[in-house]
Amino acid sequence: MALSAPRHLGDGTMSLPRSVRLIWWVTWFNVRMLLVSEFFVLLTFVSPLIFATLAFFLFRLGHSTGGQTLLYAALGSGMMGVWSTTLFGCGGAIAWQRWEGTLELLVNAPTRYDFILAGQTFGAVIFGFAGILMTIAWGMLLFGMPLTSTFPLLLPLSLFAAVVSLGALGMLIATSFVLYRHANALSNMLEYPIWLVAGLLVPIATLPAWVQPISWLLAPTWGMDAIRGATLQSQPPWFAIGMCFALAVVYYFLARVALRYVLHLARRDATLDLR
Amino acid sequence: MNASMTGERLRSSLSHASDASDASDGPLAIEAVDLVRVYHTHTGVIRRRPLDVEAVRGVSFDVRPGELFGLLGPNGAGKTTTIKMLITLLLPTSGSARVMGYDVVRDTTEVRRRIGYVFGGDRGLYDRVSGLDNLRYFAELYGVDPAQRDRRIAALLELVGLTGRENEKVEGFSRGMRQRLHIARGLLHDPQVIFMDEPSIGLDPIGARELRQTVKTLVEAGKTVLLTTHYMFEADALCDRIAVINDGRIVASGTGDDLKQAVLNRTIVEIETFGVAPEAVDRLRDDPEVIAVNTEERDQSQILLVQSERGPEITQRLLGSLGDTRIGKVVAREPTLEDAYVHLIASTTRSDGAERAAALG
Repeated sequence: MALSAPRHLGDGTMSLPRSVRLIWWVTWFNVRMLLVSEFFVLLTFVSPLIFATLAFFLFRLGHSTGGQTLLYAALGSGMMGVWSTTLFGCGGAIAWQRWEGTLELLVNAPTRYDFILAGQTFGAVIFGFAGILMTIAWGMLLFGMPLTSTFPLLLPLSLFAAVVSLGALGMLIATSFVLYRHANALSNMLEYPIWLVAGLLVPIATLPAWVQPISWLLAPTWGMDAIRGATLQSQPPWFAIGMCFALAVVYYFLARVALRYVLHLARRDATLDLR
Repeated sequence: MNASMTGERLRSSLSHASDASDASDGPLAIEAVDLVRVYHTHTGVIRRRPLDVEAVRGVSFDVRPGELFGLLGPNGAGKTTTIKMLITLLLPTSGSARVMGYDVVRDTTEVRRRIGYVFGGDRGLYDRVSGLDNLRYFAELYGVDPAQRDRRIAALLELVGLTGRENEKVEGFSRGMRQRLHIARGLLHDPQVIFMDEPSIGLDPIGARELRQTVKTLVEAGKTVLLTTHYMFEADALCDRIAVINDGRIVASGTGDDLKQAVLNRTIVEIETFGVAPEAVDRLRDDPEVIAVNTEERDQSQILLVQSERGPEITQRLLGSLGDTRIGKVVAREPTLEDAYVHLIASTTRSDGAERAAALG
């Protein structure tokens, strides 16, 4: 049994400006790293276009060809891409850093590892959201989809709330990758079910009743609700925005608790350098 | 990079240890007491059985501030595990260690602020962005003052001879350039203690010589360096003191001259052979006058290094033991530090392989 060690996330004395700067730098660096990765560029910018095209044709077959329906499908397809990028960007990036031998250096830096992880996950989520813009442009160009917003002033806030909640969820998922080399099995498993359960293409109301409580615990559900609320609904999406922030707080604190434990286990079990 | 210029640049870009808050007359730079590390693993695929492997088995040593200390040992001896415990990446199973007076288990942030970690090999850098981007990123992680960051990076790039190449992607860097970038990364936050884990591995002779010069200059600038290597000449040329580690234990320590004492009364007979059979080598080992036989593989030949106390007098008998083996050059010479190292490793390697995986549980 290894010696007992305090479980903390690093430097507890970091000032707020230093913390914000660190998160910003890691976010920006991760966006740049994703931009030079062909896999992530395809995942983020091409996959949603394919999803959106399929959705447009499916809706057309179902005789739902109104502009609102097309925008509903475009936003849903874009969010599917965001979820995929979040999942693989948060988890895959850590697996890849483990492979490159940089994970040890990040964990061993004299700073807060939760802030590093937050920057990495927010980088992935922000990168993913760029894919939504591509999907909307695709729908406008090829399918004549109108771009409307019922609450244009709330749209930026809805997007921000969705980024924050998905980032926090990504952070929670990423903790498993710090400890386990093969956690990508988890991320692969989570991709398609969340598309369905979070109501990205079909409304949650059409799902079995027992699935709906699961949907309510997921950031993509409320992120999608907030964005669709600001673009398509007649009521302002305050509740969905609030749920995004509330879930983000819960995810973040769960991630912190998990990360303390995971970093301790990684030091005890020597898993950081395993490929 | 020019060695003398390098020294001047390094001295000007690094704070001297005496300028730092932890003065050299304070605590030891590194203090390891009975460090033990057991890895819990398993064997088998279907019927998995737990297995405990003792990688480090009670290692103790200390390093004074400003000293260049070498940890020398073969692959798998426990060098990297020891370093990883000292830099807080691994928890010791038992024992204790302090770096600049801070406990490596409890005071991780304090230890991490004061140490730099440089390792050899191709890993540890972001290949798809430039060297400059790598350094800027790590400068943020290491808390380098933003006002000084760019100046410091420029000084370190000049120090390691990468000025003008910093905007190229790392994936296009040669092995030597990557190693130099590693060193610049490890020095970004001006650490007091630098851990270098086999930094010269895979470097060409010129790159390795430049690296040794950089290490020397670090020590001249007052830094404490713990260097692991399995190159005897590197440890001999650089280190103030050397600890030889084998099978997870320190088997000898002292200056290079101290270690040579162990084999001073011996003679080494080097026998060049072509296609020597293992049985012939065993016959040499069975000779009552022979203390140790080691084999070095060359392109077409094998060099047998035979240690004995009466080398020249028994040479004919040794050659006779080799039977029909084709013999090339035969040379008798004085022992070197490498011979001392080989002797230490050979005499302390556990003969029973199963013992390496000592089951504790």
